[in-house]
Amino acid sequence: MKRIGPIFAVLLAGACGSPKHAPQILHVDIRGMKYEPDSLAVSVGDTVEWTNQDLVPHTVTSSTFDSKSIAPHATWSYVARTGGDFAYNCTFHPVMVGAIIVR
Amino acid sequence: MIDLYPNLMRTSIVLVLSSAALLALAPSCKKKSTEPPAGTTGSAGSAIAETGSAMTGSAGSAAAPTPAPPPTPAGPTDPQIAAIVVAANQVDIDAGNLAVKKTKNPEVKKFAQLMVTDHTAVNKGAVELVTKLKVTPEETDASKALVSGGADNRAKLEKLEGAAFDKAYVDNEVAYHKAVIDVLTNQLIPSAQNAELKSTLVGVKPAFDAHLEHAEKLQATLEGGSGATMGSGHKM
Repeated sequence: MKRIGPIFAVLLAGACGSPKHAPQILHVDIRGMKYEPDSLAVSVGDTVEWTNQDLVPHTVTSSTFDSKSIAPHATWSYVARTGGDFAYNCTFHPVMVGAIIVR
Repeated sequence: MIDLYPNLMRTSIVLVLSSAALLALAPSCKKKSTEPPAGTTGSAGSAIAETGSAMTGSAGSAAAPTPAPPPTPAGPTDPQIAAIVVAANQVDIDAGNLAVKKTKNPEVKKFAQLMVTDHTAVNKGAVELVTKLKVTPEETDASKALVSGGADNRAKLEKLEGAAFDKAYVDNEVAYHKAVIDVLTNQLIPSAQNAELKSTLVGVKPAFDAHLEHAEKLQATLEGGSGATMGSGHKM
């Protein structure tokens, strides 16, 4: 019986504790014709918010999501519901590329 | 012949501004701790403050006594910078609107529409800023040269059609953005006195750089012949 207590406590922690990831909100700035950071690792369930800090409109566009035009100082968010690597770009400005890695 | 306009424009701007702007910087450069624009971090402001320090520190004292320097003409003031920025953007908006109307090339049309959208947005931001700062844009020879050069350019473009129009428009966009970036980098940004105006000029330069890169790629496509007509670059 002496050993059962600690083992039970460990099992209980495993069952009720860390496995579930609390969804987070992560931010990407669009500034100077760049995504900052240009690559971001997130977990399934997290929300990514892009805020356009430039004077010109931008988009955040991938094969699975598309913000359409984000006006200056506006924000667009995306909830990462499925895992995978998602390269994205600005459809207006070909020089702008970024990626989110959803795990 | 179309290339002459940007060259003339560039010469005009540089001649008007270069005689005064850089010489006038050190004595008149004030460091202001203006708050950054809403929604931005303080990083841009910090970079500008450092630049200001470097500029004020560059006025070294000579070992031997020297006569007092002759009075130098002032560089472009903030109201003059505002007028130049607004004129430069408007010129490209007008050329873009013409190209959207005339071109049959989808890539040229897309680029022209982008120029209209982006330069309109930059002008909107610039006007909002100078309104907030209570700065009234003041016309100069440089801003007038931009406006008249833009009108001349559009008159030349109006007479062209098809691939000739596309090439002339895109060639002009390449030269125009090179000239504007040069003036922005070497004249307007160093001369801007208000920290928020300077920050805006610094912040908008990457957009002009991206436009130039886009225009140069488009220019290469047109010269290669693959983008001259709709769909001609696609092979099954």
